[in-house]
Amino acid sequence: MNFIKRGFLGITRKKGKSLILLAVIFILGNLISGAFSIQQATGNVEKNIKERLGAAATVELDQEELNALSEADWEGVEIENIGVDLIKQIGELSYVKYYDYSMSTNLGSESIESYQGEGMEDQVVMTGPSMDYRLKGINYAPVIDFEEQKGKLVDGRVFTQEEVDNGTSVAIISKKLAEKNNLQVGDTFTLTNAVYTYDDKTGEEELANSRDVVLEVIGLFEPQSIKEDQGESSDGGMFDWMDIEYQNTVYVPNEIIVSETKFNMEEYMKADAEFAAAMEGEEQTFEYYTPMFVLNNPEDSAAFEEEVTPLLPEFYTVINASDQYDSIAGPMKSMSNLSKYVLIAAVIATLLITGLVVLLFLRDRKRELGIYLSLGERRSRVVGQILIEVMVVAVIGITLSLFSGNLLAGQVSDTMMKADSNTSDEGIIYYSEIQQTNLTTEDVLDSYEVNLNSSYILGFYGIGLLTMLISTVIPLIYIVRLNPKKILM
Amino acid sequence: MILEAKDLNYYYQDGEQRRYILKDTSVSFEKGKFYTILGQSGSGKTTLLSLLSALDSPQSGTVSFNEEDIKKIGYEKYRRNNVGIIFQSYNLIPTFTAVENVLVPMSITENEIPEDTKTVAYNLLDFIGIGKSKADRFVNKLSGGEQQRVAIARALATNVELILADEPTGNLDEEMEQEIIDIFKKLAHEHEKCVIVVTHSNEIALQSDQAFHLRKGVLSSYE
Repeated sequence: MNFIKRGFLGITRKKGKSLILLAVIFILGNLISGAFSIQQATGNVEKNIKERLGAAATVELDQEELNALSEADWEGVEIENIGVDLIKQIGELSYVKYYDYSMSTNLGSESIESYQGEGMEDQVVMTGPSMDYRLKGINYAPVIDFEEQKGKLVDGRVFTQEEVDNGTSVAIISKKLAEKNNLQVGDTFTLTNAVYTYDDKTGEEELANSRDVVLEVIGLFEPQSIKEDQGESSDGGMFDWMDIEYQNTVYVPNEIIVSETKFNMEEYMKADAEFAAAMEGEEQTFEYYTPMFVLNNPEDSAAFEEEVTPLLPEFYTVINASDQYDSIAGPMKSMSNLSKYVLIAAVIATLLITGLVVLLFLRDRKRELGIYLSLGERRSRVVGQILIEVMVVAVIGITLSLFSGNLLAGQVSDTMMKADSNTSDEGIIYYSEIQQTNLTTEDVLDSYEVNLNSSYILGFYGIGLLTMLISTVIPLIYIVRLNPKKILM
Repeated sequence: MILEAKDLNYYYQDGEQRRYILKDTSVSFEKGKFYTILGQSGSGKTTLLSLLSALDSPQSGTVSFNEEDIKKIGYEKYRRNNVGIIFQSYNLIPTFTAVENVLVPMSITENEIPEDTKTVAYNLLDFIGIGKSKADRFVNKLSGGEQQRVAIARALATNVELILADEPTGNLDEEMEQEIIDIFKKLAHEHEKCVIVVTHSNEIALQSDQAFHLRKGVLSSYE
């Protein structure tokens, strides 16, 4: 009849009290379990979505800061360019896995046809000069977009560093663009760098000059992430501009774009005397690079931003791919906040209510506890006996509420998300250079799932049992202060 | 001499005055004898018993068990291994059966107890007149006399030499009272225990080997 056996007998011989305690723990356990389930699920969504958004970062002008400037503030404002040296300095930071800096421009062509989507060719009516092909400059020869699975090289090869450094006329194009124009690796194709002037009076554009840009196809790629997203998308075969833009992207060394930009600018100045006069005396540069840094881990984003921000010129800011999460995860965040407060409240309520219930039961058993002490039982073992009685019931109550609380959380969060998504903006697609995917609020809600996984089970048992332990230990001070003489004589 | 109290003082502080319950009380007890401490209500006899059983401690003076101060032994350890206490209101655990009540101190004591504790417990209960069928009943299903027998069996369960009883027959009728006193006498005379009973009954005092009278905190021999 040691204290462990006495503890178990205490549960079975006082069924009424054990059931009351079980009911209290079960009800409070449901609150904790429900709130914890939602916390876990929202936490997982944030982690998953941020992983899908990727670990990329770039440095851009801070539009919010610029918009906040008054007209007076704008006077004398000089915005510096992000130079290659600074990009390289940032790229050498330990958080950065690899980096690139890119210029881009759009060119047209008279010899090849652009990709316009599956079976949609006849429906697209283009007006004005065609600038269908987006030339994306590369400094990182293996191409970051391929390394980050935005696209996949399916034929040929990537650039060599020599080609990048020398600005060799080589290109990687999409497989669909190649198929449409019967191009293969090793073939050449011609793009046109056309310079147009705009007549204010007639509102018409006039060709001032043009030159051919002949490029050799060294590789073919297929889009990856956009293709996947289309497959998952509920709107099926809807026309997808982002896909078309990427299918018509032509990867080339940066030097080619610098050269074409320079040609375009110089020819434009020749054709437009007014513009040339305005530009006279200005320092002319044709290199405007957009840097892209791929970090080792999405979790490094904050540290990277903290370290890079002081290095940047005025009005520049760090944009992380994972920043997009904040703009699309409204319902998720409100649910996460609410569940956090419910969890805290539930833990405090459990501490108080269970503590009081245990204290009342202990007072009721004062004589029994006094008998153990009069027989010379160690107070620690009397405490142990009560702990066993409460914790065994707690394990049962918490195990039951583990499942029911999880179900409850599923129901509650479904209702909350439906209510929240009805009031949030629908159909907005967020996309930028550094983001590898076109995620929407709907994607965030779709990836929300309340389920029973090992981390939830362990976490809930940890929180539940620790709360019960504390709420039992506090009233047990009562036992330590018991005087058997006063109780029994 | 198994138990000795020396110069025990126990008092309550009432403002600047001390209200003595026991004053310079000294007494000693031997094995194999049945003692009674007689006194009216409020005479301090229960306080004396609580000091002898280490349920309380005196402001001054010592209690020695086998010539060792019980404070040095440790009050809890002394209660666990050296003394069996019987209360007027039995103080059994109501959710346990009679035999389970006897088993409790066996699991607490550090004294050597035969391995088959359940058999020992049944035998002890049988020795004091509780058969197997009653031994398996919850104690609140037993009569007052039977409950006090269970309490005596519990006090004996740890194989101690010293039994202290506080008004053990206070809630029993005369017939039952005599049966209990006979058990105490048997324990003292046949089993070499030292049995000390606190009572207000002259009849019980007259049956003891030695009786003390406690009046206003002062102990004297009862003739």
